[in-house]
Amino acid sequence: MSDIPIVAFKCKKCSKVHYPFHDRCLKCKGREFESIHPAGKAKLVTFTQIFNLPWGFDERFLIIGIGEFENGVKAMGQIHADDIAGLKLGMKMAPTWAPIRKVHGEDVYGLKFEPA
Amino acid sequence: MPVDMELETVLRPPQVPMPPYPPKWITLANGKKMVVRQAVREDVPAILKSVHPCLFIERDYYDIVSARLYGELLAWYRHRVKSEYCLLGQVDGYLVGIVNGRLENEKVGMSYHTLAIDRGLRIGSHLFAAKMEYHIDFIGQDEVLIVAESPIGFRRWMVEYPLEPTKIPHELGGGDSWVLTRETYLKAKPRLVVGDRPVPKALLEQAMAEIKFADDDTIRERIAGLKGR
Amino acid sequence: MRDVAILGVGMLPFGRRDEDTLVDMLAAASLKALDDAGLGNESVDAVYVGNMGGGMLQHQSSIASSLVDRLSLLPASAETVENGPASGGSAVKNGLLAVASGYYDTVLVAGGEKMREVTGWRATDFVASMTHPQAEYPYGITLPGMAGMFTRLYMEKHGVTREHLLAISLKNQEMGTRNPYAHVEMALDREGIFDSPHAVVNNPVSADPLHLYDLCPVSDGSAALVLCTVEAAKKRGKPYVVIAGFGQATDTHTLAERDDPTDLKAVTLAAQKAFAMARLQPSDVSVAELHDAFTILEIAESEHVGFFKKGEGGKAAAAGKTRLGGQIPINLSGGLKARGHPVGATGVAQVVDIVWQLRHELPENRQVKNATVGLTVNFGGFGNNVIAFVLKRVEA
Repeated sequence: MSDIPIVAFKCKKCSKVHYPFHDRCLKCKGREFESIHPAGKAKLVTFTQIFNLPWGFDERFLIIGIGEFENGVKAMGQIHADDIAGLKLGMKMAPTWAPIRKVHGEDVYGLKFEPA
Repeated sequence: MPVDMELETVLRPPQVPMPPYPPKWITLANGKKMVVRQAVREDVPAILKSVHPCLFIERDYYDIVSARLYGELLAWYRHRVKSEYCLLGQVDGYLVGIVNGRLENEKVGMSYHTLAIDRGLRIGSHLFAAKMEYHIDFIGQDEVLIVAESPIGFRRWMVEYPLEPTKIPHELGGGDSWVLTRETYLKAKPRLVVGDRPVPKALLEQAMAEIKFADDDTIRERIAGLKGR
Repeated sequence: MRDVAILGVGMLPFGRRDEDTLVDMLAAASLKALDDAGLGNESVDAVYVGNMGGGMLQHQSSIASSLVDRLSLLPASAETVENGPASGGSAVKNGLLAVASGYYDTVLVAGGEKMREVTGWRATDFVASMTHPQAEYPYGITLPGMAGMFTRLYMEKHGVTREHLLAISLKNQEMGTRNPYAHVEMALDREGIFDSPHAVVNNPVSADPLHLYDLCPVSDGSAALVLCTVEAAKKRGKPYVVIAGFGQATDTHTLAERDDPTDLKAVTLAAQKAFAMARLQPSDVSVAELHDAFTILEIAESEHVGFFKKGEGGKAAAAGKTRLGGQIPINLSGGLKARGHPVGATGVAQVVDIVWQLRHELPENRQVKNATVGLTVNFGGFGNNVIAFVLKRVEA
């Protein structure tokens, strides 16, 4: 059972994994999906360190990346690191479900990767 | 104006000794070299000529920054402020930016203002960094209290250093100060404080010989794109 | 389907235009285009306005309806078209189809955006609204951030270097100094933004590995065209410009779901369709306006449209092949980098500049000699909705 409550969608006809939701499969246009959660560690597909943040963030920078999980789910998440010096394309990341921003003073949770 | 020197000893605030700021030079994004050097009191009347047109530019809070800076520089010139300093940025001898501040005591500084006359070149960033360098590296202070009047200042200082909020009132308006500590300064220094010393002889001589001032229209255009208005 | 010509063009200088409202800018550019078309006192059949942020930034909707009223173009048909940063391109496409279909003979297309009304943080947030609302936006991703992630992969896969990106910055900012409509009219110096240790402040990292001067500015501005039938254009008795082909294609909303995030499929398809319709090849193009919101995109698009093989675009830029006088001049307006990027205006402004090129109306320091074919690429979202136009000069 995954700790990450993101719901991804595996096409029942052709097994293509989708995240986020699509009403029809991107490959075969099928409409039936099995709900799955991201499972296992994630491979770091790409990342960046952003210094000019949008309204709503008090941090000086954010590190954001895309991880590909062992069961094929691909998702964007923040990366918990002091800087990007230690990050490399393809490295293994451990996913967590953690606060990613505040909206009206309340924590909003999302995917946060840490070097595994 | 006649001045009673005996009365002046009562009217003039005490001064905390300040070592001089060693001038430096910086290459700007357009390739030009900016000399950053300390102004002397005698420079003030001429500097005020460059500040004057900015008093009437609302854009980006130039009016309030200039109005307060004008008063601060005049106060320094007329010996009515404690331990104020002023640093200038000059390109080809022309004044392109002014920063000022003062020392509250040996350990705590009070940042006043940053006025960039030429825009789009990070002159404000460079000069603000120079004055923090002065407070912490050269005067040896532990912290500097800072406020921002404009969102641009807020982004460049509060967000980029970053600064810590305090409950200490700042004399510019009485609102809460933000503080730059020695620790934060030293961490931020590699990415925010640049410049080479010594300044090449010819470059320094040019800057020291004369502070050149662009005419009012040029200054207004540079700041606000208000050509002819 | 009829061929469609461009009868008139106009634009306002891009930059920070505090004194103008959004509709002020759209109206002013439209009047310039109408005057250029010789329709200063006439009507049009339909109006299409490209705009992304009026509802969010100016709290104003139904902008096209407001514009026809401002311009006394009633009772013309009017629609506002929103397609993110490709809103301008979409407005042009809709105008083109309107004339090509035979239903309308004369159509005004305007694009505009007023982004400097809000602080940089809010403008960044507004632009980020085009990312996926659940899978991307909440994380604080920005468009420069998307471009940073893309650049990292593109550097890894295709060998693009910071030197290649620098070549684009320097070229486009230099061209901006020659364009009175450009937002940024300041030439950059290589030492100041790259070689010198002082570059760390002058040109700081914005979205690693992209730096400040790899990004376009946030701008206000507007541009407009008048589209008509070829017969109407011929009547003026001088060379005119036709939209010889267009193409549009879409890709996945999220960057994560692209099989190869470095593959800008929508750019490739849009350009292919445009060239096919025009019956022309990339090698026929005299001058191009590509969507360089980030320097990496000029390189990537130059490859995806077929000017250079994958991996060669950066080298070509560094070797001067995309400068004025080079093999394929790109972004002689200064591009989004220097001309600016009021998002709804850009797609229209790209066409305006190409029309000037193909009419041979530009000063020598911007004009491609004997330009006959132009290409524009307007990149919506982060490459998930792209529109390309091929324009051709027709002699009188």
